Amino acid sequence: MNPKAASKKRKAVTRDVEEEAGVFSGDELSKENLDGALSDNANELSESEDESDSDFEVVDEFSDSEDGEEELDSDEIPSDTEEDRKPAPGEPNVRIVKDANGNDRYLYDEIHPDDNSEYSEADENANTIGNIPLKFYDEYPHIGYDINGKKIMRPAKGEALDALLDSIEIPKGWTGLTDPATGKPLELSQEELELLRKVQMNEVPSDGYDPYEPLVEWFSSQQEIMPLSAAPEPKRRFVPSKHEQKRVMKLVKAIREGRILPYKAPEEKDEKEEELINYDLWADEAERPDHVMHIPAPKLPPPGYEESYHPPAEYLPDSKERKEWEQMDPEDREKDFLPNDFGSLRRVPGYESFVQEKFERCLDLYLAPRVRRSKLNIDPESLLPKLPSPEELKPFPTACATVFRGHKGRVRSVAVDPTGIWLATGGDDGTVRVWELLTGRQLWSVKLSDEDAVNVVRWRPGKDAVILAAASGDDIFLAVPPIVDPEIEKASLEILDAGWGFAASKPAPSASEEGKKNTPPQWIRPSSTLLDAGVCVVIPLKYVPKSISWHRRGDYFVTVCSGASTPASVAISIHTVSKHLTQFPFRRRLKGGGPPQTAHFHPSKPILFVANQRSIRAYDLSRQLLVKILQPGARWISSFDIHPTSSSASGGDNIIVGSYDRRLLWHDLDLSQRPYKTLRYHRKAIRAVKFHPSGRYPLFADASDDGSLQIFHGSVTGDMLSNATIVPLKVLKGHKITGELGVLDIDWHPREAWCVSAGADGTCRLWM
Amino acid sequence: MSEDQIMSGASEAAQRQVRVQLTSQQEDIALPESTGPILVPTGLRRYALSTLVNNLLSSEKPIPFEFLINGTFLRTSIDEYLVDNGISAETTLEIEYVRALIPPLHIASFQHDDWVSSTDVLSTTSPAASWASGATVKKGQERILSGSYDGLLRIWNMSSETIATSPAATEGGHTASIKAAKFVSPNQIASAGLDRTVRLWKYTEDEGGFAGKIAPQLELYGHKSGIESLAVHAQSNRLLTGSSDHTVGFWSTKKADAPAAPENLLPSNARNSKRRKLNSSVSTAQRGPLNLLSGHTAPVSAAIFDAKDATVGYSASWDHSLRTWDLVTGGLVDTRTTSHSLLSLEHLPELNLLAAGTAARHITLIDPRASATTVAAMTLRGHTNAVVSLARDPHSTYGLISGSHDGTCRIWDIRSTKTDKEGVVGESVYSITRKSLEEEGKADSKRVGGEGVKVFSVCWDKTIGIVSAGEDKRIQINRGEGVLSSKA
Repeated sequence: MNPKAASKKRKAVTRDVEEEAGVFSGDELSKENLDGALSDNANELSESEDESDSDFEVVDEFSDSEDGEEELDSDEIPSDTEEDRKPAPGEPNVRIVKDANGNDRYLYDEIHPDDNSEYSEADENANTIGNIPLKFYDEYPHIGYDINGKKIMRPAKGEALDALLDSIEIPKGWTGLTDPATGKPLELSQEELELLRKVQMNEVPSDGYDPYEPLVEWFSSQQEIMPLSAAPEPKRRFVPSKHEQKRVMKLVKAIREGRILPYKAPEEKDEKEEELINYDLWADEAERPDHVMHIPAPKLPPPGYEESYHPPAEYLPDSKERKEWEQMDPEDREKDFLPNDFGSLRRVPGYESFVQEKFERCLDLYLAPRVRRSKLNIDPESLLPKLPSPEELKPFPTACATVFRGHKGRVRSVAVDPTGIWLATGGDDGTVRVWELLTGRQLWSVKLSDEDAVNVVRWRPGKDAVILAAASGDDIFLAVPPIVDPEIEKASLEILDAGWGFAASKPAPSASEEGKKNTPPQWIRPSSTLLDAGVCVVIPLKYVPKSISWHRRGDYFVTVCSGASTPASVAISIHTVSKHLTQFPFRRRLKGGGPPQTAHFHPSKPILFVANQRSIRAYDLSRQLLVKILQPGARWISSFDIHPTSSSASGGDNIIVGSYDRRLLWHDLDLSQRPYKTLRYHRKAIRAVKFHPSGRYPLFADASDDGSLQIFHGSVTGDMLSNATIVPLKVLKGHKITGELGVLDIDWHPREAWCVSAGADGTCRLWM
Repeated sequence: MSEDQIMSGASEAAQRQVRVQLTSQQEDIALPESTGPILVPTGLRRYALSTLVNNLLSSEKPIPFEFLINGTFLRTSIDEYLVDNGISAETTLEIEYVRALIPPLHIASFQHDDWVSSTDVLSTTSPAASWASGATVKKGQERILSGSYDGLLRIWNMSSETIATSPAATEGGHTASIKAAKFVSPNQIASAGLDRTVRLWKYTEDEGGFAGKIAPQLELYGHKSGIESLAVHAQSNRLLTGSSDHTVGFWSTKKADAPAAPENLLPSNARNSKRRKLNSSVSTAQRGPLNLLSGHTAPVSAAIFDAKDATVGYSASWDHSLRTWDLVTGGLVDTRTTSHSLLSLEHLPELNLLAAGTAARHITLIDPRASATTVAAMTLRGHTNAVVSLARDPHSTYGLISGSHDGTCRIWDIRSTKTDKEGVVGESVYSITRKSLEEEGKADSKRVGGEGVKVFSVCWDKTIGIVSAGEDKRIQINRGEGVLSSKA
């Protein structure tokens, strides 16, 4: 109420007793309205500054020392004091008065900038020197003037005070108070002073009291078995509140009476507003087509199972994968997250890299501008050649019909006779056998040699005679198997025997000629056992013939000794049956590609095709000219065959070539000396290739060391413009691979779409 | 009618019903005339219908029946049949029932020394017996003839004993494998083989029937290559052969009728002395063919007489064609070209069809009449190798048996069909495998190309059953249990 007085008193006390601040402050605290002054330190300071003349610094010091306590006070005390001074919280700080018109007028209390509002009253003792530095008054005993013009004397300085205080002797325990009971000056003992201090500090005065005893939580969340209170459940817990009901009923009543409206009545529009014209800029906006250069952003793929919050177990990484993923460089990771099973959607946490991912997506879209690529709209299917389906190209061999078992060791060669009833085979056991084709019954067998294998057997073409040529060791045997009727047998024998007379008429080779390397061999009669078995003629070559090929008229056949040690001049020999004559048409080795491998006559022209390891050469026999060189591109040609309908005109020849380096090559002689088609379907070397001998079925087949035969459709048209159509038809498996060798030879039935294969497993098979 | 109502009342709610009229061609199993159409649930299958008919007949021993609707066997439930063929369930369905074929069981196997290429039977019901004028076959004295690759003919009785063996090559026998053999009459046998000859033998038995003798009667020369098939017509004393030399031979079994043998084909013309030694010391009459019908361009695999008219012959060849011959004039009447090599032939006279087994593993049914529009009436599929032998079912005009190089014989009923993507295709009713495979414990294993178990010849007789000969050096006899008893 009167801060000035309070502060004065305080100052006086300060001046008097420093040590007994507790006591005096305790006094002051007992005064009720001191709070204002105490609570605001700054205010007090300014006051003291204004009031006091001489004790300015002291006050300063004091206020410092008192700081801690004051703050303590300000925490606890105001709750008491403020209630008196301020209006109660419930009470509005507004007064309603009637104004002149009778309307309510709200009068608010004046707002004070601060709680201690009496501050504005003028201080009589205030220094009136204005805003000048105090040092101007350093020379004078006063420091300014008060409002009445009287000097304000400089407060006493420290030294003077000290001197004064020293001069006064205060007895111990002096309080300056009088004990009302005795009338003597009241003296307080040390204990009493301590007690007072504690009271002043708002502590519990008694000794041994611990304000921070550990808390016993009597009331906790834990439900005790024995409750602290056995009081029954209060009624208010379960009886509906009457108070609430009253209030609700009040609202209900008000609604019923129409005092509370459920919704606000629509406001009536002002006429002014109606006059406003709203322009809808986008009212008639039509969707415009995209800009020509507009390229829609590529769509992100939809999330898969891996992105699921609850993916199937197989998508979850195991610990090893997880570790691997974590150790991997983020750049190298296949996907930038690991599938995670959260169990349920509400357990899914926020996606931590959401922002970064969106940012990167934006970067992608922005930094990698999209470009419209001109793409050829071609159906890839249309680029494939239109091949007829194998079903339409029937018949062709599809299944094994007969197995010919009997040879010991490999069957090296197989040939179906021109009538298509018999099959001749030759094998490692040195025998030539003839079988009934359909049933697989062996009809005839002859052992040509005990040591050497029968390398090749070939029937003489033509149905007028049945002659089988077989090569075993160094010799070539011509036989008439005793399976034919006497008439044909006779005819066959006549063909073979006709040459004896011719040979006899020829002068015997002189000794000098015999010494020469390339003396043509003399045809001789076989041993009597072989003669009885049906062999008629033996041609002893000095080297091992590996290939026999008949001329279509059946008078000539060509043999090739492909061994590397064979001299070039005798490697290829042409034998004339009617004259029992053997000729060596080549003096020198064919250029490039090692020893000759195989040779065939052209089916209609007087041309001999000779293959060495890398090329095939065509020689015109009548003019003794090299006609053509083919370069199949194979490393080692194993066999070749000439298409049976190869025209007699200059062109139109087609040749298939099989090679040990797994390639089957189709040559069209008109097109190029390079292959027209290269078929690489076998896993191992191709041993033999063969066209179907009749023009009826456009089939060809190859036999490979991988134990399989492959049947192809290869139709040749007479039209020069269209090329041959080659369609793979069937892989025939059945031969077992024995000693790295599979199928060694193949032959076609002369009329039917049946083929016969010779296997290294000792069997031949008929496929139909 | 009361039966009708009971049945309908019982199951009307549950199932659709159809009115069926059950009929049978055979009188002994026919239902009484009074049996009108009856209502049956459409869910019934063959077995249930069979039980129903047995109940209606009130037969003591149930007879298994097959059911024919519109000429095809019922293989599904009636309901499915109606749906498949678009027949309303309201119509009265005419169902014919016949005795079901009974699965042929293995009866016996006769072991030979070499592959058995052909077989024929002599029984009271066999054609040879029916043609016989003088000698007759006693019941219980059935004989089985086999021709083997070792060049010998053998006669067996039913208890697997060889009664007679033909003489060896040195004594007037075949000098090479026999490919076909037939009984001409109970006393005469014809055989042909890879030695290009047809030989006629006189067969005599002693009183007890435990020993017999096969004596050469006639050698017929004319073919230039192995003879693949032989057909016999005893009334007219004619033989028909198909040979690998692309011709069909027409022969007479009578020495007097036959022309002289062509000189150039006689074995004495062979080249060397050793072979001449093989020639028989026994001199037999040698004759030539009445006619050699040429026209085929590839080996003739089969030649048969028309079952009704012995002046008509049919031949099938590797050149894919089936030719009809007028045997009287030796003229070629008709050529039917198929797309596969034909290896066997059989005539189904009641159906006017020829069944031809092909190298393409199926049997085609060909209508040989000039008026026929389609070449192949039906295809029977199921074999896995060339079909080399065919025989008629003696019990049924629709039945057929085929022997194939895949080592099985299959029984076909041309009414048992299914619709395939290639049209109507026949299904085999039963398949008979070789007993030799089972004995080796390899019944389940599949032989590639029927190796070792090829069937070369099959013959079906009413009395004896199915006789098949094959690469396993055996003759195998199979018979449907109860076939005999049902006739007895």
